[in-house]
Amino acid sequence: MDLISLYPTWFEPTVGSGWVVALIATFHVLASHTSVGAALLFAYLSHKAYREDRDDLIDFIKKYGLFLMVFTYVAGSITGPGIWYSTTVASPNGIGALIHSFVWKWATEWVFFVIEVVGVYMIVYLVGKVDKKTHMKISVIFGISSFATMIIIVGILSFMMLPGKEQWFTEGGYLNGFYGTNTFIQMGMRVAFMFTMTAVVGGIVVAGIKDPAFKKEMARKLGWLGIVSTVTGALLFQWYLTAVPDQALLVMENRLPSYFVPSIMAVLAGTLTYFVITMLRPQVLIEGFAGAMTVIILVAGLWPEETARESMRKPWVAGQYVYSNQVIGRDVPGMNIKSQLPTIEKVGILKAHPFTPDALKTVTADNKIQAGQYIAMVYCSNCHSPSKTGIRPLHRYFQEGITQARMENYVKGVLTTGNIAYMPKMPMLDSEVEALSAYLVMNKNQGQGAVVAAIKQEVNDRNRALAEKMSMDKVASANISQEVK
Amino acid sequence: MDASQVTQVTDMLYALRNPAGVPTYPILFVGLGVLTFALHILFVQLMLGTSAITIFGAFKNDAKWRRLGAAMLEISKISVSVAIVIGVAPLLFVQVVYDPNWYASNVLSAVWVIAFIVILIFAYWAMYGYYFMNSKEKDKTKEPKGKAWMLISVALLLTVGFIMHSLSSQMLHPELWKDWYQQNGVLDYSGTKLHAYNLWRFAFFISMAIPVVGGMLVTYRRFKMVRADADMEYLDFAANVGKKWIAIGSVIAFVFYVAWMMTVPETAGNFATSLWGILGGVAVLLPAIWSAIRLNGSSYNMCSYMALPIALVAGLTIAIVREMLRYDILNGFFHYDFMDYKIVMDWYSTGMFFLTFAIVGGVVLSYFLTVAWKAGQTVGVYTPSAFVNRLGTLSIWIVALWVLQFFVVGFYVWAR
Repeated sequence: MDLISLYPTWFEPTVGSGWVVALIATFHVLASHTSVGAALLFAYLSHKAYREDRDDLIDFIKKYGLFLMVFTYVAGSITGPGIWYSTTVASPNGIGALIHSFVWKWATEWVFFVIEVVGVYMIVYLVGKVDKKTHMKISVIFGISSFATMIIIVGILSFMMLPGKEQWFTEGGYLNGFYGTNTFIQMGMRVAFMFTMTAVVGGIVVAGIKDPAFKKEMARKLGWLGIVSTVTGALLFQWYLTAVPDQALLVMENRLPSYFVPSIMAVLAGTLTYFVITMLRPQVLIEGFAGAMTVIILVAGLWPEETARESMRKPWVAGQYVYSNQVIGRDVPGMNIKSQLPTIEKVGILKAHPFTPDALKTVTADNKIQAGQYIAMVYCSNCHSPSKTGIRPLHRYFQEGITQARMENYVKGVLTTGNIAYMPKMPMLDSEVEALSAYLVMNKNQGQGAVVAAIKQEVNDRNRALAEKMSMDKVASANISQEVK
Repeated sequence: MDASQVTQVTDMLYALRNPAGVPTYPILFVGLGVLTFALHILFVQLMLGTSAITIFGAFKNDAKWRRLGAAMLEISKISVSVAIVIGVAPLLFVQVVYDPNWYASNVLSAVWVIAFIVILIFAYWAMYGYYFMNSKEKDKTKEPKGKAWMLISVALLLTVGFIMHSLSSQMLHPELWKDWYQQNGVLDYSGTKLHAYNLWRFAFFISMAIPVVGGMLVTYRRFKMVRADADMEYLDFAANVGKKWIAIGSVIAFVFYVAWMMTVPETAGNFATSLWGILGGVAVLLPAIWSAIRLNGSSYNMCSYMALPIALVAGLTIAIVREMLRYDILNGFFHYDFMDYKIVMDWYSTGMFFLTFAIVGGVVLSYFLTVAWKAGQTVGVYTPSAFVNRLGTLSIWIVALWVLQFFVVGFYVWAR
């Protein structure tokens, strides 16, 4: 059996499936980091409220907690599994690799997640219904549990970039895959970012405080929290860059959009300025200002950062062994995982793919464009949209009027050999190279409309040929039965 | 289907398995999946049932109904959260051993999978919208505002329920996946269609919300009656409604169950009349049978906390039957046996999960639920006993030590 673990392809023509994942993930990061940071802040404030017998702090927790419950816990708890859903449809083998190595870690996180969800309701709804000491205890448990959910997930996230230790490839094992330099630095970065978000989003609630003295106190607390965490996060990011594979740095230099660095620097400076202003003049802190700041960080800071993290992994999508196009591209002896490239080299991608329709398993003159499109969908569409728009559209990569011969040279010389550092190796039979090239040329020179028409024609021709064959068979069998009679 | 076609499907399913294997015996994942699904669906049904009472109460010009509707909204809000958080677990476990089926089903309906996330967020926000519109009103017998938001919320919740139902149904039809992927000779990469569903099965799981919320109402009476400010007339009314809903709901659900069993896929063979199929039918009637025996007669007899555990037992039995149906189709017909999934044993992470589940989950949730329970029954401020306080301190130590061990083990592995 020469089939490999490839699923059907979902192609979203407008923005691309990758961007759908990125949108959900970015929103989730905003919501979840804010929630975890706020949980730790609540633990601190509740402890202080108990020690100093202060009702104002408890009231603040209730207000901030209710606000977070509606906007970040609801959205965060749905977009969390939402990342599973979106990666399942965009990158089933990527998420599958993570799930199968870290299922128990996710299940462990789930235990803390349950505690977290029960905890947030208790923190908000039991204000005034339990004594301050009990509220403090609930807040502390809630804070630590929230923190636990984050540190667990960071290990899995860093595995996406590379396994914790190199030994994982030879020895396997959850511990080798989970813990490593990258894991701890990323953890530090995320903790810092989490507090920055807490300070920014907390500003929306502080803005609503009526008592000027209390407002000033909270603005200062959040301001210091924000300044220290922003500076720490920026420094940790520099350290993080020393812990990623060289290839990731190469991608960063070559592939990231030009606005990435200026955008991050601007957000950094803007964030620090914002905190200084709100500390010096708390009266300027109004809901609109704090809300706008949240959106700015989301759009100009978090979005490029998450996009960068996604891009830097290329050509891999998980553990440096699953390619972004879902093919397993290297052996992992420690997990008894075999590269799928030899199988594809032997039988071709069309025969190796379990979902290839029978009519496309072998390239012929009657299916060339359709087979070519199918190969492009399997091999390319996760990172390069075959449509006009979307993620890094394919047509932009080829010169106008490119010929079939030239395209075949490129596909065979560059793609099948894996000669581009940040792109997967994509083995193909010669007939598949021809089909993919024919499709790419038509897509580039004549556009998508021509591709659709050509495929329609191929399907009609095949159907007609099939109908003719069936009627011939019918005639033949009728003749035989007459002869028998 | 002939034998060679079945073999092709079997080969495809085995090829689609993740080469990383699973870190322990596959049966554990299925067992945990069934258990957590039963809990998840209980809260889904609770959420739908309490929402239905909220709507019913809002539209009925009756003080008791309106009060009950407002009270059930509180439970509904929390049930949505709990249903989501508990739902994460079966979602995790299903993709461990049934990844070929789950992933193929999802990709083929990708747009609906993404829509699920967005619709669920709006469903939840619509419910909160309704809640905030009425939360400041102290008199809960007044006609509530923004009833449309609650209707929208329930409609959206049912929509996401249907999406999930369809994805689960598609899992059971590996023989049709390629046909769904290629229609009229053209590949469909859009993921815009839901390809399979069984309305009887969907209606059955939704209709179970009626007996479940009936159980909730009986429990509600029992829980609130010990408060010093308990209004027994109102609580008796609630429990009587609950009793009625348990009986009627079980019968309605039973009818849908029979219809579901009569329409299971052909690949399930004689599942409907098998021991499992019959057991499921008995389980559906269990709440009604229990209610007829235990809640019969005077209001004193309605004093019971057992209504929800009985609903859970019924739900757990149905979850087992549902799993057996899946196994019957995928193993019995397509010869895909989850039990032979490649195992790459990892004792550490397996042990760590079960220890965390039992110790961290057990102790902390015992503390949380005790406090919530007692606070709910107390008029004014609840101050825990010394024992409950110690349980709280122990909980803090346990979660703190868990985090500590995480870093100690991590730094050791890092430095090794």
